[in-house]
Amino acid sequence: MPDNTLLSTAAWSLLLITTLAGCSTSSIVDEQRSDTASLELSSGERLVIMGRRHGNSYETEPDFINCISNNVANTGKFSVMPEQEFLDTLYPWFEPRVAPLKLQGMSKTLAITVVADRIKAIGIRYVIWVDGSTETTEEKGSIHCGMAPSGGCFGFKSWDKTSSYEATIWDLKHLTEKGKVKVDSKGASYMLGIIAPIPLIAQVKGVACEDISSQLKGFFSQ
Amino acid sequence: MAIVLNTKFSLGLTIIVYLLLTGCSTHVVVTGEHPPVLVQPLDYNVGLVLNSSFTDYSFTREKDDQKIIITLGDSQTQLFSQIFEGIFTSTQRLQVKPQITTSPMDLVVIPRVEKLQVSMPDETSLNVFEVWIQYKLEIFDTNSALITEWSVSSYGRTQTRFLKSTESALHQATNSALRDAGAQIVIGFNRIPKIRDWIKRKTGSNNAR
Repeated sequence: MPDNTLLSTAAWSLLLITTLAGCSTSSIVDEQRSDTASLELSSGERLVIMGRRHGNSYETEPDFINCISNNVANTGKFSVMPEQEFLDTLYPWFEPRVAPLKLQGMSKTLAITVVADRIKAIGIRYVIWVDGSTETTEEKGSIHCGMAPSGGCFGFKSWDKTSSYEATIWDLKHLTEKGKVKVDSKGASYMLGIIAPIPLIAQVKGVACEDISSQLKGFFSQ
Repeated sequence: MAIVLNTKFSLGLTIIVYLLLTGCSTHVVVTGEHPPVLVQPLDYNVGLVLNSSFTDYSFTREKDDQKIIITLGDSQTQLFSQIFEGIFTSTQRLQVKPQITTSPMDLVVIPRVEKLQVSMPDETSLNVFEVWIQYKLEIFDTNSALITEWSVSSYGRTQTRFLKSTESALHQATNSALRDAGAQIVIGFNRIPKIRDWIKRKTGSNNAR
């Protein structure tokens, strides 16, 4: 009986320690501006936040782009066009294979009359390109679950996640780069198997989204 | 009572056998709208031949007891109709290649699917669903002479973790590959060297008149 109490205390202590110490997410934010003045967004002008998807090994997740777009739009101070709506309205000029990677390419795209006219018509002043992804970097341990009624889950599993994203702001009116924001977030998640599996998940991607959104909002005059 | 039990047993057995036989089969019917193309149309009258092997196209793969069927005839028919109606001022959709005398057209385009490949997450290190479609477009002039054959290789993929099922993942990857094919055709059509030459000759002969 004392063994059981000891086991139970140890399990709860482990859970408490992991909850307090684990699931922590660290984030490094780096910002670079072309000048100190805030970016202007006149009435009728909008911005669009787009993910880079030209690479072979990864693509910037659409849900991450939606997260930033929603965060920036939720302030109610900026009009943000949803990424998919922009891609459909300008199909095929911003598809992964043909989207301009540099301002020089953007200048060539804007030299196409129908594209320039459409961008003007929908009021897009700034394009914010987000490039990066979230990866699981290290997994340790394992959990084993047995069949009911005598079963249950026992074990311990942990994994690290790393988010690395860079946002680049293009001003389409002056065809210049206005700044960059880089966010690197790291966090460890745990899964404890104490009869039932208890997940303790670090919101690495969520933190990266919050950090990059608040930095981007800071670029614009409010 | 015994008869009722036997009937129930037979029905249950039939369902189990049916599930076992069809359980490892994935059938995806690709649907969905494609966005209209944003392009300055070329002032030509074009015949787009979409024969039944194109409009009813279905891909089947059987590997390791897993059968995958992707039916994309309707979707690619809609895509090709839409993009050629965008690229040219006048596009007529046809089922067979027209005779020169009956339907004078500047160009006749006959697309066909050369190859479709599917890659499942466990087959690559990327852990994504991937679809490749290779189209071949035969382009004929007004005299029914072949100007060029153009190969378009398109690619689409999906992140596994965003999707609920294999069906929806393959659907999204195929749609993405179709969208990529459309982008390449719209942007690349008048960049094909032989088409560029043809346009130059056509413009020259029109100006000379």
